[in-house]
Amino acid sequence: MAKVGCPQFPETMPLLNLAAALPTIDAPNFGQEYLGVGYLEWLTNSIFVSLLVSVAVILVARRATRQMMLVPGPTQNIFEALVEFLHDSVESIVGKHMVSRVFGFLVTLFIFILFSNWFALLPGVGSIGWGHQTPTGFSVDVPLLRPTTADLNMTLGMALVFMALWVYWTLSEVGLRGFLEHTFGPKGGLQGIVKLLLIPIFFFVGIIEIVSILFRPVALSLRLFGNIFAGENLLTTMIGIGKQVGLPGWAASIASVTLPIPFYFLELLVGLLQATVFTLLCAVYIQLSTSHDEDEEH
Amino acid sequence: MNSLVIAAEAAAVAGGVTGNIGLAVAGAGAAIGIGMIGAKAVEAVGRNPGASGKVLTLSIIGMALAEAIAIYALIMTLIGK
Repeated sequence: MAKVGCPQFPETMPLLNLAAALPTIDAPNFGQEYLGVGYLEWLTNSIFVSLLVSVAVILVARRATRQMMLVPGPTQNIFEALVEFLHDSVESIVGKHMVSRVFGFLVTLFIFILFSNWFALLPGVGSIGWGHQTPTGFSVDVPLLRPTTADLNMTLGMALVFMALWVYWTLSEVGLRGFLEHTFGPKGGLQGIVKLLLIPIFFFVGIIEIVSILFRPVALSLRLFGNIFAGENLLTTMIGIGKQVGLPGWAASIASVTLPIPFYFLELLVGLLQATVFTLLCAVYIQLSTSHDEDEEH
Repeated sequence: MNSLVIAAEAAAVAGGVTGNIGLAVAGAGAAIGIGMIGAKAVEAVGRNPGASGKVLTLSIIGMALAEAIAIYALIMTLIGK
């Protein structure tokens, strides 16, 4: 059994473990490999963190809204401000008709992604874990906690769930025939013979649009995964860069504390930005396929 | 396609370039795209200061979409071909 410890300079961090299969980048099974328990095989370190984040958010939200007062206390005020801001943003994109159906999912996605991204910045995440002893200190191979959105499994799962819900919302809003007309039908108010001649062109445009729809979950998941994973690696590199460049011991120690500071704030911003972009893009995709409901006011 | 990749990499190494050519080009493209979005956003706010909220939201979305391509290239570099 490997021991748990903190590295002094984690220069052999997960970057080298990327050679493993793509979906399970450095996400070990706690159950099977380290605790030796067979039925906990699904419990990887990122799933463990996603459980922690979910439980924490749910507990804080329940406590804050337990007694809803007309003049709110501080935590209730924060949640009200957040939900109201998101409601206005989503409603301005999706429209009044759809917002009551999609808002719950989108705001949950936003809060979960935001706090998962920010979880990466807590001390101890990614630097405490199982590893081996090297001459320069203890090197962590497998972290105990790592941010859950830095795992491609999690972001792909969220993107696929959104696509499934998008299909359901689109089909229940405009129907299968409405969706096919929206995608493949001639647009632009053409009449007569010109419309008949342009049907093949619109058909090929529809094929291209189907391809771009199929690409959406790939883009959504890779964007979020890439940003958070690269941010994690960036912070790790900045911590170890003093030693790598070859500064003397005391200067390397000072550099490993002061150099990551601007990148830390960058990661705060990137976490917020990526959660916003994921949510707003989901709202835009919903609007694109359900919006022509409004111009069919016959 | 594979021979083209090999030829490009051989040319890069022969010219003394270390590092990933794909990531370099993707990074340059993303930086140019984001700069153009920023420039147009600032110009739009200058012409119509009241629209700065909407312009900010649209420009943030546009920048994130443009940056995603560079992120794909970064992931390809980190994980390997």
